[in-house]
Amino acid sequence: MPLVIAVAVLLAATLFYILFVRPQDLPVPDPVSPTLHLDERKAAIYENLRDLQFEYRVGKLSDADYAQTKLALQKELAVVLAETERISKGLPVADRKRQILEPEVVSLKVEADPSPVICPHCNARFTTPMRFCGSCGKEMAA
Amino acid sequence: MENVGSLAILFAFCFAVYAVIASIAGKLARRPFLILSAERAVYCVWGLLTVAASLLVYSLIAGDFRLAYVASHSNKSMDTAYKFASWWGGQEGSLLLWAWLLSTYSSILVFQNRRKFRDMMPYVTAVLMSTLTFFLILISFIEQPFKVLMAGKGIVDVGDGQGLNPLLQYWTMVIHPPMLYLGYVGFAVPFAFAMGSLITKQPGDSWIHTTRRWTLVTWMFQTTGILLGAGWAYAVLGWGGYWGWDPVENASLLPWITATAFLHSVMMQEKKGMMKVWNVVLVSSTFFLCIFGTFLTRSGVVQSVHAFAQSQLGPYFVTFLAVGIAGTLYLILNRLDYLKSEAQLESVLSRESSFLFNNLILLASCFAVLWGTLFPVISEAVTGEKISVDGPFFNRVNIPIGLGLMLLTGIGPLIAWRRSSIESLKRAFMWPALGGITVAVILLAMGIRDFYALMSLALCAFVTVTIVIEFFKGAIAIRAKDHQNLLASMIELTHRNTRRYGGYVVHMGIVLMFVGFTGKAFDIDKTVQVQQGQTLAIGHYTLKIGDVVKSQNEVYTSEVLNVEVSSDGKFIGTMKPERRLYIASRQPTSNVTIRRRPSEDLYLNFAGASNDGEGTVIQAYVFPLVSWIWAGYWVVLIGTIVCLIPSKTRLIWPRTEVVAVTGKHANIEQ
Repeated sequence: MPLVIAVAVLLAATLFYILFVRPQDLPVPDPVSPTLHLDERKAAIYENLRDLQFEYRVGKLSDADYAQTKLALQKELAVVLAETERISKGLPVADRKRQILEPEVVSLKVEADPSPVICPHCNARFTTPMRFCGSCGKEMAA
Repeated sequence: MENVGSLAILFAFCFAVYAVIASIAGKLARRPFLILSAERAVYCVWGLLTVAASLLVYSLIAGDFRLAYVASHSNKSMDTAYKFASWWGGQEGSLLLWAWLLSTYSSILVFQNRRKFRDMMPYVTAVLMSTLTFFLILISFIEQPFKVLMAGKGIVDVGDGQGLNPLLQYWTMVIHPPMLYLGYVGFAVPFAFAMGSLITKQPGDSWIHTTRRWTLVTWMFQTTGILLGAGWAYAVLGWGGYWGWDPVENASLLPWITATAFLHSVMMQEKKGMMKVWNVVLVSSTFFLCIFGTFLTRSGVVQSVHAFAQSQLGPYFVTFLAVGIAGTLYLILNRLDYLKSEAQLESVLSRESSFLFNNLILLASCFAVLWGTLFPVISEAVTGEKISVDGPFFNRVNIPIGLGLMLLTGIGPLIAWRRSSIESLKRAFMWPALGGITVAVILLAMGIRDFYALMSLALCAFVTVTIVIEFFKGAIAIRAKDHQNLLASMIELTHRNTRRYGGYVVHMGIVLMFVGFTGKAFDIDKTVQVQQGQTLAIGHYTLKIGDVVKSQNEVYTSEVLNVEVSSDGKFIGTMKPERRLYIASRQPTSNVTIRRRPSEDLYLNFAGASNDGEGTVIQAYVFPLVSWIWAGYWVVLIGTIVCLIPSKTRLIWPRTEVVAVTGKHANIEQ
């Protein structure tokens, strides 16, 4: 008999725990960034760039392969950054099919800076001063 | 006590059903109260199953022989560890372990994500609890662990039990099933997240990032379980093999193969957003193959040396598999647009394509093993005659596949992501290829003519050189920058990308295992009838047969054969193979004795008295390189643990940021 009572009490307590949910019991969800998936993609591209740099250093890539792959990754990054910026500003998200929008991205970036930094060797334009050119790799100060 | 146990399982079943309904209803009706209520039900299911499992274990250890399960799988004379292991020694207890592990995983997952993925979690909970509900149906209504022995209307206490199958009374068997189950059950988690992600059309690859560690840990458990099983077969069954292509062995290998393919192809999705459909298919296949493995083991649908379970569970498993696979297929097909790749394969000479080939080869292997495993069932259904497929078929198909995989293991690291030029490849391949060719030439000069053995060892050398060069070149690059010594540079290198270099360590472990597998080509075996004082030569060993010592304890009677072993004429020790007869179950077993060395194992099995009673039958084997398999496992384990350590570079924000694409390479509209 005591066993039956104990089981009944335990069952009642279990049912109470499951069914009696108060408003204050609801967990406060962690804030979800609307750009979370883009941040993840951005992190992946940075990692790819790091890998690329390292593989180039250990001699796994020719100069041409390195330059071509780096450029492709930079383009991908530019797309992701632009998309992040759009979402952050509350602008409508671009259609997935229109993700080949590097011209727009680039023009946005270039227009944003009234006095771009220009590489004296290859005339590549950057919005921030850099020691080495991101395009040809030569020293910018020269 | 049996009533409490049965009630606990029954209520667990009710709450699991409630959790499924409440989480889906809560999500659809946007009622967070219902969702939280469902999550609380998950914790309660775990609590109830813990009570049930504890009661069963207590009954096994205390020896409550009124319970049919205890009477069948435990007895008074067994060690406590084996009494505990009886929990999974039989059908009902094993299914209870499955359910308890799944409820444990589910509770941990729900607790970890109580504030995260609020959109997806109700469906994750529903998938996990649906799977659990299936297993709870089995142990609530079909294979009840708390069934009592009845005589008429009264409960009977039989006083003592039959004990655990003597073959299972071995230390690896205490941990082999739980390890395998931890792997089987663990794959429910990435599957549930994949389904949750598909249902709610989550942007990005959050389900992959969330379950990355689960997947890896689960794979590690599966690997451990499989190797423990192989070690058990080698040391206990007396025939000297570690893998017999038995259906139940294959059942554990199948999800391991797809899981391995998933671990590789998932990198393509993370790095390039490719192969999204393929990854969902792989993770789903792995989950369903885990269920299929449990079905094969537990249903007795195919003939197996693992005849530990024969039951009528087959139709239930088939129904669950059919419904689950149909639902998953519908969901994948319905979400194909959402699973579109974000990038294309840029070059055939890229690491992506090596991963692609790796996946195709693994898939071919999986299909071959599945076909061979199910062929008896298929042939019976088609022709009415059960045709068994034996080891040579599996070896014929899987040895070339294995060699292909080994080749890709070496090629993959040599090729860069996205594209590689022929010139770079020539440079990268030179030393590894030279290493492989050198080993092949040396082996040929030593007189080895077995084609597969030559290929295997040459490829092992090829992969080893590749891995060593990867570590060496990377460490040199770091040393040039950080001015550390080479060892510190290697540690730094590994810490910067634990996943890649941990992966290389895992590959090294697989190489060691392949060396061990290759040793099979050079096995020597002799089965002879001998008398005391006679000698037997095998390889460079001479065995002098001694006397037989008989003894008895409360568990078994024993006969130990003393064998004096000499190597090249020099005495090296006495080996003592043993035969036992377990008193409770009247089952005889052979306790083999093994002299383990890195180069070869000397393996002796005392097969008993000869038919004429005048001598003893002894089986002697020399197994070259078999220890490399077990050594390889430890390397795989270390590599997997390294992969689980967070990379150092992940903790720091990149120092450079691309601010624009220049006019030199892209058309700029201004």
